[in-house]
Order: sequence, then structure tokens, then C-alpha cells
Amino acid sequence: MGKFIGQSIKRVEDKRFTTGHGRYTDDIVLPNMTYAQIIRSPYAHARINSVDTKAAAAHPGVVAIFTGKDIAEAGINGVPCGWQVDFKNGDTMKEPPHPLLVADKVRHVGDAVAIVIAETREAAKDAAELVEVDYEELPAVTDPYKAVQDGAPLVHDEAPKNMAYDWELGDKEKTDAAMASAHHITTLEFVNQRLVPNAIEPRSAIGDYDATNDKYTLYTTSQNPHLTRLLMCAFVLGLPEHKVRVVAPDVGGGFGSKIFHYIEEALVTWCSQKIGRPVKWTAERSESFMTDAHGRDHVTKAEMGFDKDGKIVGLRINTWANLGAYLSTFSTCVPTWLHGTLLQGLYTTPAIHIDLVAAFTHTTPVDAYRGAGRPEATYLLERLVETGARELGMDPAELRLKNFIPPFDGVNQPGYQTQVALQYDSGNYEQVLKKALEIVDYDNFRKEQAEARKQGKLLGIGISTYIEACGIAPSAVVGALGARAGLYESAQVRIQPTGKVSVYTGSHSHGQGHETTFAQVVADKLGIALEDVEIVHGDSEAVAFGMGTYGSRSLAVGGSAIVKSLDKVIEKGAKIAAHKLEAAVDDLEFANGAWTVKGTDKSIAFGDIALTAYVPHDYPEGLEPGLDFSSFYDPANFTYPFGAHIAVVEVDKETGKVTLKRFVAVDDVGNVINPMIVEGQIHGGLAQGIGQALFEEAIYDEDGQLVNGTYMDYTMPRADDLPSFETDRTVTPCPHNPLGVKGAGEAGTIGSTPAVVNAVIDALSEYGVKDIRMPLTPQRVWQAMQNGKQS
Amino acid sequence: MHFEGSHVLAMQREELWEILMDPDILARVTPGIKRLELIDGTRYQAVSEIKMGPVNGAFKGNLEILDQNQPESFSLKIKMNSRIGNVSALGHINLKALNPHGTEISFAGDAKLSGTLARTGQRVLTGVANSMTKQFFKALEKEIAGPGEERKKGLFSRFRKKDKGEPDGS
Repeated sequence: MGKFIGQSIKRVEDKRFTTGHGRYTDDIVLPNMTYAQIIRSPYAHARINSVDTKAAAAHPGVVAIFTGKDIAEAGINGVPCGWQVDFKNGDTMKEPPHPLLVADKVRHVGDAVAIVIAETREAAKDAAELVEVDYEELPAVTDPYKAVQDGAPLVHDEAPKNMAYDWELGDKEKTDAAMASAHHITTLEFVNQRLVPNAIEPRSAIGDYDATNDKYTLYTTSQNPHLTRLLMCAFVLGLPEHKVRVVAPDVGGGFGSKIFHYIEEALVTWCSQKIGRPVKWTAERSESFMTDAHGRDHVTKAEMGFDKDGKIVGLRINTWANLGAYLSTFSTCVPTWLHGTLLQGLYTTPAIHIDLVAAFTHTTPVDAYRGAGRPEATYLLERLVETGARELGMDPAELRLKNFIPPFDGVNQPGYQTQVALQYDSGNYEQVLKKALEIVDYDNFRKEQAEARKQGKLLGIGISTYIEACGIAPSAVVGALGARAGLYESAQVRIQPTGKVSVYTGSHSHGQGHETTFAQVVADKLGIALEDVEIVHGDSEAVAFGMGTYGSRSLAVGGSAIVKSLDKVIEKGAKIAAHKLEAAVDDLEFANGAWTVKGTDKSIAFGDIALTAYVPHDYPEGLEPGLDFSSFYDPANFTYPFGAHIAVVEVDKETGKVTLKRFVAVDDVGNVINPMIVEGQIHGGLAQGIGQALFEEAIYDEDGQLVNGTYMDYTMPRADDLPSFETDRTVTPCPHNPLGVKGAGEAGTIGSTPAVVNAVIDALSEYGVKDIRMPLTPQRVWQAMQNGKQS
Repeated sequence: MHFEGSHVLAMQREELWEILMDPDILARVTPGIKRLELIDGTRYQAVSEIKMGPVNGAFKGNLEILDQNQPESFSLKIKMNSRIGNVSALGHINLKALNPHGTEISFAGDAKLSGTLARTGQRVLTGVANSMTKQFFKALEKEIAGPGEERKKGLFSRFRKKDKGEPDGS
């Protein structure tokens, strides 16, 4: 623990966030700015016979209207997919175009057909209502399993049977043999339901073309501004990158949904050039529901084989993953390389195979949502283990402990090679589960539960353990797996002449508190005050390059890049200090913000060295002035946080309502820079994971209408739905990055969902309920109890 | 969404048939209908205003009577558009003579909603449909009980006196 590292420093950015001074994209008002309203399809699947814009164009205040035809005639490409996954037979995945505005056919409710640009937001909205689109409705398919059956309506003619790709991982033969010889096989068939990300700040984009300099600026709600610039310039609009600046100012949450390059970003940029004025578009909440990339949506058949002692001998998975109507930026890697590769879990399972089909459907595109693939993997594993324990008559905690991979630190013991491609860096899985069991007082709980039963109360306890691959990601590895970008991070550390420090990071906070955490690292390493460090992010003109924030990567990858630059600063500073102190570099040590000649009191402070670097009057010969270093850090491996979560629930016998009474989370995210921020992230993650278990689901009807696209209908977890979380940690440092950190952003979401479901099923054990479809609404739980009673 | 139901009316089947084929009466008894105009023998143009849960809107569109089998049955095809979404529906209506003065009218069909209407109205749709059906039959009963002479008067004399959804006498 340093002066700052390991301390719960209050977030410096919160001063502006909590006093209304955050500056978000929609807060930006440019001179002469226009406002855009996008005409969106009310149908899931329809042919566009005609688009009549005459009446709308005549509406007062309308500046311009563009339709799919205009985009097609301008020869603009659609938004690309960033990750290629090939079919099992080696064919390239189907990648139908995703145009900025569609001209021929709409493929999901919310698909963009035309854009109306006007002097005011109100005029744009009013005029948009006057655009007459003649649609010929066509049959739709929304379920990924049904989509790939014969005769299902086609989303894209170029993708037969609606298959984007099929995919497998693991040893099929070995797994089939293991399952054949298993003493017991536990089978579950379930839906990991579709979720809407619901960032509090809706997406927004402003295109601003400057004709005098032929330069474009895009302000956008992005977790990933540099990637947006790269994709938009190189693949969509064909603009020279040095003429395009992308700024993502404060971003109010994303949970993945703001990683991707969306059509609206390219659309306002293009429109701005067309009309010669800035164009702003901001989503309304109902647009967010329809057009922010959704999460999850898997249909899965999962089987786990056990020997007679309860050792897991095999895991066999069949999954149908819904990708929606188009391939969103990272959609293709989520059900594959972020899901199939996590099926080892914490267990020594010797044979694993997953067979997966990724389907196009007439729904909003699906992409990474907090956890991205890993919650789906964890859910199926932890539901199988729990169900297996029940079927084998074993205690679920004991069954897990029996199957855990033994502890390894990745230094003295090698990393753990899984059956599904990854090599875990370090882990001590028993420790987290034992700690969680101790906190919840597991042994006592069973007595309490039996006592409560006698009084007619249904108490249940559910365990979940998880591992996730974070710190995304080693470029060579992901490149081999189909990523069309490297996943390193950049950082520039600029020491100002007065010793103040500006840090330019390619990571981009959308609520994580980077301005605090990163500053803690810098201040500690340089031995300076926290307020002497400024973290700059989210502007492609300020920051050299970046891969953004997602996959719990910012500190592990972005933070490591900062450390690399800091090391360079310290190394060069030592040369200047050696000169000033008339000592050899090797005789110096750097600590507490000063270089000292070892064993003496001769020292020189960091600030003096900074000044000398920029006022080099008395300076080492041959050394360049300045103290300013850039670094790119490409991680050696993913990082692998893990943990154990335990939920205690009570189910109301009469109504089926689930009350979450306790939630214990013991997470190991490696070293921790700011415990308060980590805890905050865990809390938020837990709320979202519990939300999936009990409340949330995006529902499409058979015609492909999103029927609960409002906050009146889509249930979000609220404060009074949640208990006070009991969180704790163990620390198993990451052995391959300089900070030893693993990432904490997604942990809560990944671990919590199956814990809650397991607890509810446990509460209903006397009813013989094996599974309930998420979310576990009172109606579904009550129905399961009624069905159980009858059987 | 599937809808179906039935209702018994104190009226001779042939007479009921006539009422149902009269756009003017239909406009009066159908809740939400503001205007109903005959375009040709079986097609009508309609303007209506409907409140569905949290949303409401003015709808414009067409009604078409198909498969006429006088006086037993017919089908009704509805396509209405609005800024809050579109409705399309196909319903089958049967008239069964119970006795010389009583007819059972039964209906069944499916409706599709799109747009905001689907996103926000679906949850309350069945409730709205049920209450509209009730209103319809209540208004129809009133219509039947009302002065028969007036009913038989020409189209123009009967031009909408009252607001839609609240037929005469209320």
C-alpha cells in the first residue's frame, strides 16, 4: 500500500458530477447548430415501397431531409463489424451491410429509414411525423433457435437459414466419450434472456464540419472514441483520419452499449458536411430501448457429467446466440471467444465442448453488455453444478470445493491451461468460496432454513462462483481469433516544467473514476501530490491513440501503459538527477518524489528535475530536453478475476415474490488501487446481475415488436429491491502486469445472477422445482410452485 | 393479439345485419370513431381517436368488409395508421339467429400493433379491447332501443349529432 495506492480516495470527478457540472455530449451547443430526428421503422420486417418527404420538407424550420436512397447514392458503406468469426467449415461469417439509413427493407423495429434536420429539436420532431413511409409488412423471426429452422423468414438474403456463423470449441470426441461414461448427467435447457443496457445518459452525437479547414469533429457518447474514428474514417465515410477529431466528453454510463460504432455517429458527421452546419442527434429513451445494442439472448442446452463421487467429468453445450438484425461492432466475439472460452469455470473438468450457432433475427442488434459472454458462461456452469449437486444428493458448496482447480500464483506455479484455449494467470478459488461461506455462516443457515420451513417460510441459499477473462487483450492472441484490431492501450505522461503532470490515456471513463484511480497510480509512482496530476481522456486530438474502456481493461491495460511511461520518466529523470548531484545513475534511488544518492542525504526533488528538463542550462551532455513519454502496452495475457457470491432469499408462499435478504460477494480482482471505487463497481455490477435474475427482460412479440420498451414496462432493479451488500475480497495479484491488477468492472454482474436463481430454486426445494425461466417474476415463481405441487 | 367474444342482442338477424352495414350507425356506436365514410361498396375510410394506456393518437385508415354472407357472417379488415404506430386487424363476425327477436353476434380475430403503440400499449391492450367491445355493444343496444323511425331516416338527417363514442341519448 502506498500513500495513494490502496487508499479509498474520494473520486475527484464527483465534484462536477454531483454539482451538475458534468459536460455530456448533449450539453454541447455549437453556433449555428441544427437538430436531427431519425425516422425509424415501426415494423420488425418490411419492404419500403416509398418514402415521401414532401410534406416534411415544407414544414417550417426544416433544413434538410435524407433517406436511405441518398445514402445509397452517395456510395456510403454501412458500419462494419470488428471481429471475424468463421464458420466451422472455414467459410467467412456472413456480414450483410448495415447501412446508415436503409433504402429497401427494414429489419428491426427502430431501423433507421430517414433523417430530418431542422433549426430546432421540436421542428425536427414535428416534421418527422410528416414523412410518409409506405411499408409492406413481412413476417418476422425473433428467437435465435427458431430463426435457423427451415422456413423461417430470412433477415438477409445472403445469410441462408439466418446463420451468421456456426462455431465450436473444445474436444467433441473426448467430451462425448466422457459423457457416455458419466455416472450421472445433469441437463438444463434454458434461455439467457435479452437485456437492455439502460445507461442513464442516452446516446448522442454531434457532427461538426469545418469547411475552411476541411476538418470534421464528432462529439459522441462513446466508451471508445479512437476506435469510432478509425471505423468511421476507414470503413464508413472514407475520410482521412488526420482530418477527423472524435471527442467523447463525460459519458454517463455505457455497460458496453457505448463501445460500438453506431450509424448515428457517421450519419451526423456526413450530414454536417452536406449542410455545412453542425448536426446534433440525441436519443430519446424509447430510441435507446430500440437501438442501443442489447445484451445476452442465448438459448442453451447444457449437460454436465459427474462420476459417482461428484467429480465433473464432462461438459457439453449447445447454444443458439441471437445477434439481432445486423452485426454490431463486437457482437460476433461475445458468444464465442468471450463465452466458449470461459466454460472451464473454476473447475478441473477434463472434457469440454461447445457447439454454437449465431443467428440473425428481426431484432435490435445484440452485443457486449457488462460481462459480455462471461455471465452467460457462468450462468450455465453454476446452474448445472447446483442442479447436479441436488440430483446427486450432495451439498453444492462441497461439490464445488471437490472440483476446484488447486491454487496457483502464476509465478511459482504455472498458469492453468484450460480445455478451452485460455491459460488462467493466477487463482485461489477455495479461498474465496470458503470466505463467502464463512461470512454467510453457511452451516448455521441450513438450520435456520429448516426452522423457517416449520413456520411455513421458504428460505433459500444459492452459491455461484465465477472466473472472467478481463484486461482485454493480448493483440496477437485476439488477432489469431479474428479481432480486426489490436487491443493494447496507449498512454502519454507529460511532465510540465513546474512538475505538474498531464496524463493522456486511451482508456475512457464512462463512470469508472479513472481521473481518481489513474491519478493515484501516477502520484504514488512519482511521489507527488494527487492534485498535481491531471488525467486527460476521450479526445482523439489530445490522446495519441486508444482502444477505450470495456472488458474490465482500463487499469490492467491502460494503467499498465501509464506505468510504462512513468518508468521512462523516472529513468530519464535519474540521468538528469545524476548530473545535478554529480553522482552515477546507479548510485541513485528514487523514492518519495526525490532522487537520493544512496547512503547520503544528497537528494534532488522531482519538481527540480522537471524544471531542469525544460530549462536545460545545466544539463547532461547528449540528453534531449523535455520529460514527456508515450507508451503502448500490449498485455501478455488476459487477467482472470474470480470470486464467490452467495444469495439468501425468501419466497412468499402466496404470491411467489422473491425477497433478497442477503447478498455476500467475495471477489478477487488482484491488487486494488482504490477499494472504495472497486466496491462501488461491485455494487453496481451486483445490482445489474440481480436485475437479470429477478426483473429484467426485453420482450419481443411474434411480430417482432419490442413490447416493453419503456420504464413503465421494463423492470429495472431499484434500491428497495436490494439488501445491503456484504462484500469482501481476497487478493491474488495478476502476475503479468506491473500493477498486479485484474479488473473489477464486470465481476458483480457475472457472479450474481446464478447465485440468486440458485437460491430461489433452493427455497422451492420441497416443490421439486428444477428450473425457472429468468427473470424470476412473482408470476413465474408462483406458477412453478403450482406446477410443482401438482406433480 | 387475438380477440374474441360474443353478445346477444334483442333484434332480428336481418335487421342487425343492416345496422352493421350502415357506416353512419357504426360510426355512432363504435368507440373512438370520429368519422367513417363509405368509399365504395365494401370499403370505408375511417378516422378515429383512441387512448391506449399511456398513449393516445389520431388514427387514419381503411376498413374493408370481406366475405359477405348475408345475413350470417362477414369479415372485417382494418388497417389504421397514426404517428404513434399502426394497427392492422382481421376479424370474423358471425350472426346467429337465436329466435325471431334475438341474435347472437360473435367475433374472433387477430390484431397487430406496431411502433410506440406496441411498445407502450401492449400491456393494456386486452383491457382496452375488452372495454371497447363492451362500449360497442352497449351503444348498439341503445341504438336498437332508440327510435326506430329515426334509424330508418336518410343518411344526411342522421349526421353526427353527438360526439363519437357517446351515441345519442347519453
